[in-house]
Amino acid sequence: MKRWMIATLCLLALSLAACAGASGDGDASQSGDLVKIRLPMGYIPNIQQAPFYVADEKGYYAEAGIEIEYDYSTETDGVQLVGANELQFSIASGEQVLLARAQGIPVVYVMAWYQGFPTAVVAKAESGIQTPADLEGRRIGLPGLFGASYVGLQALLSVGGLAEEDVILDSIGFNQVEALAADQEEAVVGYITNEPIQLRALGYEVNVIAVDDYVELASNGLITNETTIAENPDLVSRMVQATLRGIADTIADPEGAYEISKKYVETLAEANQQVQMEVLVQSIAYYHADPLGYADPEAWANTQQVLLDMGSLAEPLDLETAYTNEFIQ
Amino acid sequence: MDERISSELLGKRQKGKRINGLALLPFSLAAAALLWYLIAEIGGFPAFVLPTPLQVWARFLRALGDGSLLRNTLFTLGEVLAGLALGVSVATTLGYVLAKSPPLERFLAPYIVASQSTPIVAIAPLLVIWFGPGVLSKVLICALIVFFPVLVNTIVGIRSVPEDLHDLMRSLQATRWQIFRLLEVPAALPVLLGGLRIGATLSVIGAVVGEFVGADRGLGFLINVGRGEYDTALVFVAVFTLIALALALYGLVVLLDAKLLSWQDAPEGKVISTYGSEN
Repeated sequence: MKRWMIATLCLLALSLAACAGASGDGDASQSGDLVKIRLPMGYIPNIQQAPFYVADEKGYYAEAGIEIEYDYSTETDGVQLVGANELQFSIASGEQVLLARAQGIPVVYVMAWYQGFPTAVVAKAESGIQTPADLEGRRIGLPGLFGASYVGLQALLSVGGLAEEDVILDSIGFNQVEALAADQEEAVVGYITNEPIQLRALGYEVNVIAVDDYVELASNGLITNETTIAENPDLVSRMVQATLRGIADTIADPEGAYEISKKYVETLAEANQQVQMEVLVQSIAYYHADPLGYADPEAWANTQQVLLDMGSLAEPLDLETAYTNEFIQ
Repeated sequence: MDERISSELLGKRQKGKRINGLALLPFSLAAAALLWYLIAEIGGFPAFVLPTPLQVWARFLRALGDGSLLRNTLFTLGEVLAGLALGVSVATTLGYVLAKSPPLERFLAPYIVASQSTPIVAIAPLLVIWFGPGVLSKVLICALIVFFPVLVNTIVGIRSVPEDLHDLMRSLQATRWQIFRLLEVPAALPVLLGGLRIGATLSVIGAVVGEFVGADRGLGFLINVGRGEYDTALVFVAVFTLIALALALYGLVVLLDAKLLSWQDAPEGKVISTYGSEN
């Protein structure tokens, strides 16, 4: 009886493991001549993702033999799925790549989309908060004590000579606009291309302390995994090049990109056009680089230092393996 | 066979079964851990996808050692207990009033059902905006999730009291308070405690939902940190702690159940004499 039970358990374990193993690579399926790529965007459908929609709509991905399927799950989910080789690409911020690699997740950053770290501290003008040092003793709301907002804030506090104990941090989820408007918080941390614009549109005069004005950090870009780079470098190259064409076209023609994005972002047509266009223009300001998509080694070194200072990284990593500029050429 | 002897025998047999059940628990846990280990090892999963039981155990010891697990568990437990206390008091009070007044129940029914049919994850962010990111919003989320099962069971429990017992109490010229204390509460207790069992486990979910939206302490926060730092073993540690917390609360209600309802197993005559002596 006992033997049977053990044998059955082992069989069950084996079959489960086999099923799980078989599910890998499931999303790089070939449909006709196109390779289907499911791409986690790390955010809800938004005008900020315009370059991808442009590359898609203009057929750049199709020319590269790729069919994009958008996935609006979270950044950390995307990183883990790419790390497990369940997916081949995702959008992720530089610090996420380092945190993931520290846990043995073999992701590699292959194209910088944003050249500056797009988070910022936003405060009402009457608060008198204008520089990082002004944050001392203030109540600051942020989505949580993790992710890009937290890393950006830590970098700013460090610039202002402050430690986390010198400020009061509140984890408020993605309610920054409401929390600042209702004076629940004296300052909030958000995306420079989102919260300040939304607050100004609501009639509030706000001061913005942009992380990018003080410290250069590795920001949002395209990631893949070591297996895909080793086994299918051509796919990585095609994906990067098609996306770069989308970025270049968005920089060249923001209005055209905006029109194209309406097809992909259902709520865009109903949204405040002026505000959304400003979000796009502000985002584009972060794309510029020579060459386009270049991952700056200094930004990566700074990012690592911030994570080390925060205690999120126990020891320095081999940065050379975390990002590459090989595919933007 | 004498009825009392047969019931004693039955009791012994049930006790024996319970002991057997408890004795099997370590084997059941060991089998689950072995199965988990085999899946992780044979599947060749990296630790960030599926850590092995040993890796989770090591992470558990680390979290225990640095105090983070205990600190966050106590914080969540505080929210859960406060939410339970609030939810249960409001639900039993309102439940009693509604049980006594069917027109009022019909009047409020749409709102009560609406409170249950709205997914708590959908309104949790709103509660955080309205009541701030502190403890209050989490306690309210817990209370909301506990509210419905306790309310429904209170109504059912109070209404299940046989009318002839009410008549009996009235014929003994019992006051309203005596009817409530000596008849309605004991009679409704089994159903009410059933609601509390569900509520106790649900309240843990409530606290975690609240902490997911925005928190800087608690087991939900620990899960968020684990996910944010790709520390899957920490996510497992927090999830298992949550399960243990829910089981402990459930166990407490079962104990309370056994203590408060011990009269149910007593021979009939004793129950009546208990009522008599209280009067």
